[in-house]
Amino acid sequence: MAEATLIQPDLDFKQAILGLDAHDLSFCYQCGTCTAVCPLSTADNPFPRKEMVWVQWGLRERVLGNSSIWLCHQCGLCNAYCPRDAKPANVMAALRDYSITHYAVPRFMGRALEQPGYLLPLFAIPAVIFLAILAHLGHLTSLPAGRIVFSKLFPVHYIDAVFLAAIGLSLLGAVTGGVRYWRAMRASQGGASNGARPGGHVLATVLDILRHRKFLQCGEAPAGTRDTYKRHVPLAHLAVFWGFAGLVVTTTSVGIGLYVFHYPTPWPVWHPVKLLGDVSGTAVVAAAVVFLWRRIADGQKAGKSTYSDWLFLVVLFATTLTGFLCQALRLAGVAALAYPTYFVHLLLIFFVLVYIPYSKFAHLVYRTVAMLYAESTRAATRA
Amino acid sequence: MAKKIGVYVCSGCGIGSCVGVDRLAGEAEAATLGGPVRRSAAFCLEDARQIQADIEGEGLDGVVIAACSPRVNTDVFRFKNTFVERVNLREQVAWSHPPNEDETQALAADYLRMGIVRAQKASPPTPYTAANERTVLVVGGGVAGLSAAISAARSDYGVVLVEREAELGGYAAKLHRQFPKRPPYDEPTATDVADKVRMVRSLPNVRVYTAAQVREVSGEPGRYRAVIEGPEGPAEVECGAIVLATGWRPAEPEAYAAYGLGAYANVVTSVAFEAMAAEGRIHRPSDGRPARRVAFLLCDGEGDDAHLPYEGNVASLVALKQATYVRRQAADASAYVFYEDMQTPGQYEYFYRRVQGDPGIFLSRGQVRRVAEDRDQSVLLDVGDTVMGGDVRLAVDLLVLSTGMRPAAADADGQLGLAYLQGKNLPTTAFGYADSNFICFPYETRRTGIYSAGAVRQAMDLAASVRDGRAAALKAIQSIEKSSAGQAVHPRVGDLSYPDFFMQKCTACGRCTQECPFGALELDDRKHPVLNTNRCRRCGICMGACPVQIISFNDYSVDMLSTMIRAAEIPEGDEEKPRILVLACENDAYPALDMAGINRLRFPSSVRVIPVRCLGSVNSILIADAVSRGFDGVALLGCKPGEDYQCHFIRGSELLETRMGNVRETLGRLALEPERVQVMEVAISDADKIPSLLEEFVRAIKAIGPNPMKGF
Repeated sequence: MAEATLIQPDLDFKQAILGLDAHDLSFCYQCGTCTAVCPLSTADNPFPRKEMVWVQWGLRERVLGNSSIWLCHQCGLCNAYCPRDAKPANVMAALRDYSITHYAVPRFMGRALEQPGYLLPLFAIPAVIFLAILAHLGHLTSLPAGRIVFSKLFPVHYIDAVFLAAIGLSLLGAVTGGVRYWRAMRASQGGASNGARPGGHVLATVLDILRHRKFLQCGEAPAGTRDTYKRHVPLAHLAVFWGFAGLVVTTTSVGIGLYVFHYPTPWPVWHPVKLLGDVSGTAVVAAAVVFLWRRIADGQKAGKSTYSDWLFLVVLFATTLTGFLCQALRLAGVAALAYPTYFVHLLLIFFVLVYIPYSKFAHLVYRTVAMLYAESTRAATRA
Repeated sequence: MAKKIGVYVCSGCGIGSCVGVDRLAGEAEAATLGGPVRRSAAFCLEDARQIQADIEGEGLDGVVIAACSPRVNTDVFRFKNTFVERVNLREQVAWSHPPNEDETQALAADYLRMGIVRAQKASPPTPYTAANERTVLVVGGGVAGLSAAISAARSDYGVVLVEREAELGGYAAKLHRQFPKRPPYDEPTATDVADKVRMVRSLPNVRVYTAAQVREVSGEPGRYRAVIEGPEGPAEVECGAIVLATGWRPAEPEAYAAYGLGAYANVVTSVAFEAMAAEGRIHRPSDGRPARRVAFLLCDGEGDDAHLPYEGNVASLVALKQATYVRRQAADASAYVFYEDMQTPGQYEYFYRRVQGDPGIFLSRGQVRRVAEDRDQSVLLDVGDTVMGGDVRLAVDLLVLSTGMRPAAADADGQLGLAYLQGKNLPTTAFGYADSNFICFPYETRRTGIYSAGAVRQAMDLAASVRDGRAAALKAIQSIEKSSAGQAVHPRVGDLSYPDFFMQKCTACGRCTQECPFGALELDDRKHPVLNTNRCRRCGICMGACPVQIISFNDYSVDMLSTMIRAAEIPEGDEEKPRILVLACENDAYPALDMAGINRLRFPSSVRVIPVRCLGSVNSILIADAVSRGFDGVALLGCKPGEDYQCHFIRGSELLETRMGNVRETLGRLALEPERVQVMEVAISDADKIPSLLEEFVRAIKAIGPNPMKGF
């Protein structure tokens, strides 16, 4: 018989999770209905039943060093079928929320994105940077004259310098967080001996993500069954995902056009790259509207929305919306509104991109790592 | 003995359209019974008055009412000082056999003849009313005993309450808290045992003996004599019934050796922990420091070496309750509960949920694999089979083992010292519980007039013990009332008959005294049986046991049953008309046959059913009589024997099994196939199985062929 593992039930951890809208987890009596109905749970890595008891017992390391919490795509079936109304989906969401803070490097950034009190300072960082640039260029006192060209306010190389530096830092944070999570998963599953090597599985994982394979599986709830209040999620997420990707491609294309071909901004509205940006932005706005609307309309039926849920969604929505607004005001020639809107738009972009590893956006990192880990351990077990 | 018998043949409820009622009445008239033979379309209505008028006017000794089952209309057809025989023409003839056929008519005619011969032999019994002491003796001053004493005293019965310890209150008085009894069932509360003690002390008709024990009990319900030994020397009290509420004791500490009790200082039992909590200091006995991490172990696992059988759901609730004590100490205190079965019946579910909702209480199923001690004398607990995945090890300040509640009756000093031939001790069930282990009869022990209440009967909590005490007091009162009227208590409630011994022919074999399940019979100096009438439950097992058939009741005897068997007409030379005798237990099998009729299920018309008080009352000579008379087969329909018996008289069906050996031997001597006699288990709910059961038996008998003894 295997040696017993020493456990140290962590009451503080348990209470922290309970506080993240998972207080009903106490009523779980381990029947396993949640795991049985979960479309993503597999025989060799079942969830969320085990997460329920691990949190009940305050087994912090075990829960956090576990791929399941990020393999879950929050379809809500477990909530709908739990006979004790213990809300396993809320517990999984709370664990993800907690793990973002837990793996964040530096630590304080994780905490800052969790607490409303830090919202102003978080916006103040880009604001100070951009205001300094404006002051340096002398644009604080008067707006640029003539045809509205945003690079007159902020020359592109200034913006790129700021963003590249900041995103570089945030990328470092993301990578460190991802590596810490990977190591934690290894440690809790018996060290490196399990032979999980990510190398050959990156492509398969990326393809899964691009296709939303898991997400769409999530939508395959048994027909005519209880409402999960999450049926909109797979498609809406597909839209926001590809929309966001489109915006990234748009921005990158503009960069390449500018630096390689010296093709100055603004580009004409009919330009294919601009059109791609319009379509992508529309997709993001539309999906964000669906998400926001369902969160408001369904009340707490799909679980209470936490601060980090709202923050992420609202910022994403506002970023895209201000982007469109900038374009419209520019074309309308309202300089007095166009430039300030552009300033706000930049703040929001900074917030979205630079705080990726610490906001709910971090799912980009952790879910990918978890899927990669699951894929490679599965391959290692099969081998 | 020329008796005057009236015969009343009813044609209502479909009887008239199924059998020739005129022919039946004619046959009864031909039998010249000295009384009238009457017919009616409904004797259960006004015509019942005609029967009463005949009894008074014609001075009838007995009446035969051929109508519905003896199980219905019992109040309508009860006539004072007159023997009443009910012939079941409705449920077991008209409703269960094809109408207007020769075999159905023959069946009805046989039943009527059988009824008439029984009425000729039977007479109404003279009740035994000599014992009428009305005091209730309550043994045990815990909550169950206090509650029994209060209930009996408030119903105006005298009570003698005997408590072993110097103070009343039992274990309840030592408890820190008890499980919540009232909505919202969330917090353990203080016990109210002190109020009960005050109440008992204030009732004028309760005599209390503390630091005393019952040494001996002799007599019978309605006149028990108990010797109580206390500080002032022995006292003798008279009482009519007894409530045994001696409670429980902690199971032997050796049972917990595998969990480190005794070896490690910080392993304690839940009883010790309760005392610790009552003192207000939950600590590590090793160094006196506060115990902040406490594990509770429900030693209830089947696969567990030290499996303790005595806990029921109490252990679960105790662990939950004590976990709340731990939490009340400090915000960071933690309680861990490991169990195999978490049992929180009824409203306690709310308490369970409340405990579940406390983040500092950790619950998991699991089996303890190993208990060890750390260097700082913390207890290391290896638990397997949890739902956490893999075995886990936990270090705790204190390990609390749930204490087995060993019923006091399992020990000699928790007993009553009965001056009974069958032994001093109240018979107990497998684990020493003073109970009859028959779900329908709680509080009934296997000694009439002695009722058990509380944890001596079954592991239970305070609230249940209070209810139990109250209920057992009612049973004791019932026993007193029935005994003083000469009536049986249970399950033949109100029966006035009792066994009579034709002592001149007694061979002093003593079998009746051994086989009586209730210890009703003692021996005199010539080794002859002496009946303690009120201890008797009138099952007739002694009558079935007696090898020389000297035991009989006024209305139930070997002779009577034998005459009934011989009253059936056996057709000769017709292989299509076999005759099967069915002796059916009146408690389960006979009602099941009735129910088959009520559901209009058909069963073979070759069957002749005679109800018996218990299969244990079937004397083997009756089976020999049946086969020599020419019956082709005999089926004995009764209850389930064995440890989980369904027999209302505990050992009746079991005893029949042993007697069947002799029966088969007799059949062999007569060169008859032993398969002609079969015992079948029929529960009261088995009505749907009756047709196939009997049809199969008839088929088997036909296959064997007719009884060669026919016509001899």
